Amino acid sequence: MTLLEGRDLRKTYRLGRRNTVDALRGVDIEIEAGEMVAIMGPSGSGKSTLMHVLGLLHAPDPKDGPAPTLRFDGRDLTRLSDRQRTALRAREMGFVFQQFNLVPTLSAAENVGLAAEYAGERHGRARAKATEALALVGLAERADHRPSELSGGEQQRVAIARALVNGPSLVLADEPTGNLDSRRSAEVLGLLRTLNREQGRTFVLVTHDPAVGGACGRIVHMRDGLVASAAERELAVA
Amino acid sequence: MRPLRNLARSRLRTVLTITGITVGIWALVVFGSMANKINALIDGGTTYYSTKVVVSDASGGQLGTAPMSIGTLDAIRRLPEAAVAFAEVSGLLDPTQTTGFGVPQSYAGSDAGADQGREVFVLHAAQGRLLDATDAGADHVVLGSDLARSLKKAPGDTVTIHGVPFAVVGVLEPTLTAPDTSAQMPLAAAQRLYAADLPQVLRDRIPASQLATDIVVFPNAGVTTEALAAAIRAAVPGVTAMTGADFDRNVKSSTAIFSAIIMGVALISLIVGGLSVINTMAMSVAERTREIGIKRAIGGSRVRVVRELVAEAGLIGLIGGIAGLALGALVVFLANDAGRSNGTILFDLTPATAVTAILFATFLGMAAGVVPSIHAARLDPVAALRYE
Ligand SMILES: Nc1ncnc2c1ncn2[C@@H]1O[C@H](COP(=O)(O)OP(=O)(O)OP(=O)(O)O)[C@@H](O)[C@H]1O
Ligand SMILES: [Mg+2]
Repeated sequence: MTLLEGRDLRKTYRLGRRNTVDALRGVDIEIEAGEMVAIMGPSGSGKSTLMHVLGLLHAPDPKDGPAPTLRFDGRDLTRLSDRQRTALRAREMGFVFQQFNLVPTLSAAENVGLAAEYAGERHGRARAKATEALALVGLAERADHRPSELSGGEQQRVAIARALVNGPSLVLADEPTGNLDSRRSAEVLGLLRTLNREQGRTFVLVTHDPAVGGACGRIVHMRDGLVASAAERELAVA
Repeated sequence: MRPLRNLARSRLRTVLTITGITVGIWALVVFGSMANKINALIDGGTTYYSTKVVVSDASGGQLGTAPMSIGTLDAIRRLPEAAVAFAEVSGLLDPTQTTGFGVPQSYAGSDAGADQGREVFVLHAAQGRLLDATDAGADHVVLGSDLARSLKKAPGDTVTIHGVPFAVVGVLEPTLTAPDTSAQMPLAAAQRLYAADLPQVLRDRIPASQLATDIVVFPNAGVTTEALAAAIRAAVPGVTAMTGADFDRNVKSSTAIFSAIIMGVALISLIVGGLSVINTMAMSVAERTREIGIKRAIGGSRVRVVRELVAEAGLIGLIGGIAGLALGALVVFLANDAGRSNGTILFDLTPATAVTAILFATFLGMAAGVVPSIHAARLDPVAALRYE
């Protein structure tokens, strides 16, 4: 079953009147439910931009080409209001960002609980779910630590716990291991794979790390704002 | 509490902003209490003058106490418009006290029951009793509440007024207006006190028992106080006849300007306080841009972002309001305590003023937080996440 499907996704950043960057130039992508997909490609190729579009943080550009479509679980998302997109992000999606993932004034449990509250849980229930999610990533004893009292890897695991707390059907992670050394990175990757296999969660990971790419079921390569075909990749390597 | 935690992030800034609000609310509380007191005085006066005409000697000015002869009383009693008329004698307890702020301590004499039940500004005894017909001719006195406190006298004590010992028979309930600082006594006693202070020429001309400083006149049924005053002015030369309308004209207009000025000062300080909250919240939003981006990205709605920041700004207002009220109450208490000894109670901090001050501070903070928080809620989450 197709969980997420995007067609003709374009995104142009306008810096000035003449100065524009075509970050996405017509991307078609399909993510199957239960998949673990890596998005790889050179810096500036549009990976993060694609993540933001798939995660409903940015709308794809409607102009200068065929009308883009974005379907999630069979639903058309192109015409949703900000409020509807926000609610969908809260309930159906989990996010892990490359940097600055956590709210510094909140403890690990509060950071995770916040996402549960956004998805509609009451404070007490959110707290309980946060404790559960933290246990899942092996951070039960760090629940009351503030981000500044956690290591980089621990912070990243808190962010993963937060992404999972509402049992989302899709987790979008932008370089989840980017800041970690290889051992921590392997740990986090192992965790994601377990969650993918045992809970059937769908993961889309942006990464530079071939080890992460290798651990995923499929790799989508990006180049200059487009998904590169296998043949193009051969060409680029040559 | 999460808003409190966010405020604690930049303690100095928060404290400075709260101080701004505190000063504004302090001004509001102190000046508001002053306006309360003034309004109570005016309301008391309005009630007092509402059903009567007060006649005094024209040379003494509106509120002066130039002596009149009781003969004037007979002339007034003969008017068909007048139902009841009686003489009063009042003077300052301390003649050397020049007109200061507030109501000076005074003595006032009239015959008990002379109003024949027409007085609407009725006094009540808190301790002891009011004067009655049996006190006529005796050196008995009933003290106003503030006066009793400043003299530290209770029924049974003796108080010396202008060298004359008086027996205290009662203490009045507070009225928040003139009687609080006055000593009520029988007419004859007041006439003797007053006569003793008069220059020899006048004392020779009018015997003590014929003295009056003002004459209170109640109109007959169907006659307005205005009509009565006009009749008195026409029939008796050389007097002023003051009615409730005159009182309102003379007193209310001047105090209205005064009230407007002091409330204006308080409002200006609050505008400054409000602007400093806006500034603080704008800085706070700028510092937290990435955090706001995170919250929006993981599903925090715009409404939530606004609510969170407005709550924080409201908390600044609330804390400032409580601090301002506490400081204001302290100043009011100390000033009234110091003023009690000379009878100048300037402030009346009512519960309504206190509650208004706190609510106002909280709403001011929240209102000031609205603009920066709407700005925050409108941020593009991705741009906010990338913000350095
Ligand atoms: N907010 C923005 N304003 C202008 N240009 C932008 C903005 N965000 C991204 N870009 C540009 O769009 C292009 C794609 O950026 P994107 O962040 O998607 O790349 P990426 O593949 O994630 O790169 P990296 O691997 O370095 O994270 C880049 O050329 C970038 O400079
Ligand atoms: Mg990127």
